[in-house]
Amino acid sequence: MKKKAEITHPEKIYWPDEHITKGELIDYYRNIAPYILPYMKNRPLSLRRQPNGIKDEGFFQKDAGDSVPEWIKTFEILAESTGKMVNYHVVNDVESLLYIANLGCIEMNPWNSTINKIDNPDWVVMDIDPSDKNTFDDVIDVALTIKQILDEMEVEGFCKTSGASGMHVYIPFGRKYDYDQARDFAEMLAHMVTERLPRLTTLERSLAKRKKNQIYVDYLQNRIGQTLACAYSARPKPGATVSAPLEWSEVQHGLSPKDFTIKNIFDRLEQKGDLFKGVLGKGINLNKALQKLSVPVQD
Amino acid sequence: MRAIWSGAIGFGLVNIPVKLFSAVQASELDLDMLDKKDHANIHFQRVNANTGREVKWENIVRGYKVEDNYVVLDESDFEKASPEKSKIIEIAEFVDEKEIDSIYYETPYYLQPEKSGVKPYALLRDALKKTGKCGLGTYVLRNRESLVLIKPQGDLLILNKIRFAEEIRDTDELNIPDVKIKPAEMNMAVQLIEQLTTDFDITNYKDTYNEKLLKLIMAKAKGKKPAATKMKVVHSKSRDLMAQLKESLAAPKRKAS
Repeated sequence: MKKKAEITHPEKIYWPDEHITKGELIDYYRNIAPYILPYMKNRPLSLRRQPNGIKDEGFFQKDAGDSVPEWIKTFEILAESTGKMVNYHVVNDVESLLYIANLGCIEMNPWNSTINKIDNPDWVVMDIDPSDKNTFDDVIDVALTIKQILDEMEVEGFCKTSGASGMHVYIPFGRKYDYDQARDFAEMLAHMVTERLPRLTTLERSLAKRKKNQIYVDYLQNRIGQTLACAYSARPKPGATVSAPLEWSEVQHGLSPKDFTIKNIFDRLEQKGDLFKGVLGKGINLNKALQKLSVPVQD
Repeated sequence: MRAIWSGAIGFGLVNIPVKLFSAVQASELDLDMLDKKDHANIHFQRVNANTGREVKWENIVRGYKVEDNYVVLDESDFEKASPEKSKIIEIAEFVDEKEIDSIYYETPYYLQPEKSGVKPYALLRDALKKTGKCGLGTYVLRNRESLVLIKPQGDLLILNKIRFAEEIRDTDELNIPDVKIKPAEMNMAVQLIEQLTTDFDITNYKDTYNEKLLKLIMAKAKGKKPAATKMKVVHSKSRDLMAQLKESLAAPKRKAS
């Protein structure tokens, strides 16, 4: 069985304003594979396919269907919402990654848990999702507030640009806790953020009810089956941006997510290496972290 | 006290005409919502969540979400689903009151006989007392069928709405681990209970919150500032979640489902 992804229509324009082709996207994934694969390995993938490039919304696909080649790994999971089995793609090597990219997946959306321990996420993620009225400096203020709370808990967090307008902060959970606990922890963090930044942030899901210039602190990405764009994933956004892991010292006013693209990320990787490694580390001790946060009851 | 319903208790071949009165009242103070700035009353508007504009009553319908769409119901739909309105509380069977768990009890009402019902009312009341039973029946109030108990209390018959079985939540999800108890521990606990056992007298307990609040209001009206009670716990959603998380961590490891 030959394990090689067949690349079709590499000449197709994916980013029309920048004249970046599908072939260039495939090349990006070929080169970034050693960096991105650790964060995709053994994780069910939700596909967002945009075979006509970034100007087309594309469509979402979870089930691999019948047409999937035999050498692509898949994993069946019962979808609780529908009661049906869904056969997810799982990408563990570069050829599988290129196969997925060739389907028109500009961004990679892996689960927070792996098929070996599907109920226990490797990380908790806080999704900082600004409105169009917010500046990236606002996003940075929210990220730094999360960092401040994590520092108070003496817990390490890792941040990256989403590659679009927001940022993601990851807290390693080391598959020690379940999705309910991950969600509760994220919700607690989110409430603490809104308590500290009541004007700038909101937990209101409904777009209509949010104030025009508020940032949504989305803790609901910590449910089973929810996905965000992976570290080093390309994004279907102007400039062919990627979701770029950052050092906390870089998280300062003036930083722009547009600075990190499929073209220039490699220079950065050469200098700084993979800043996101710690996300797959040991995971925090939730008990200890909560104790650090507990304020003694005042009398 | 104003009657909220009048009808009859159907008991075998006899109908006992009665009036129904609420047996309970809210003990909360009636506070109004005001604008902080000028103390104008706050009033509510029903607004369209998309446009933010007010929607008139006649343009409001009720719907139920099925998957992602709403199924809209109109008056005739509600009518079709409603039980037949009746003026009779039909006692279908008699049960031992001790068999009914308190979890089923809902709102209590007082029953008062109409003139022509005085005799059968007294007869039902006394017969229930003598047998230690209460009547279980159904009646329709505000378009909904209700399950009710009729039981004697002093000179009165009391009607107690009770819940249907499907209104009671399943306890499967609660975690009550099995533990072994030593006889000595049990003895101690029993002793403690016996020491503290008295006759039940509800008047020993008072809800003092409203009383205090009212005092405070009166003092404020006179321009005095009563001393603030010290807050014990800073209450916030994040703190609730923290407590919840700690609890989940303390629980024995759940099996991956």
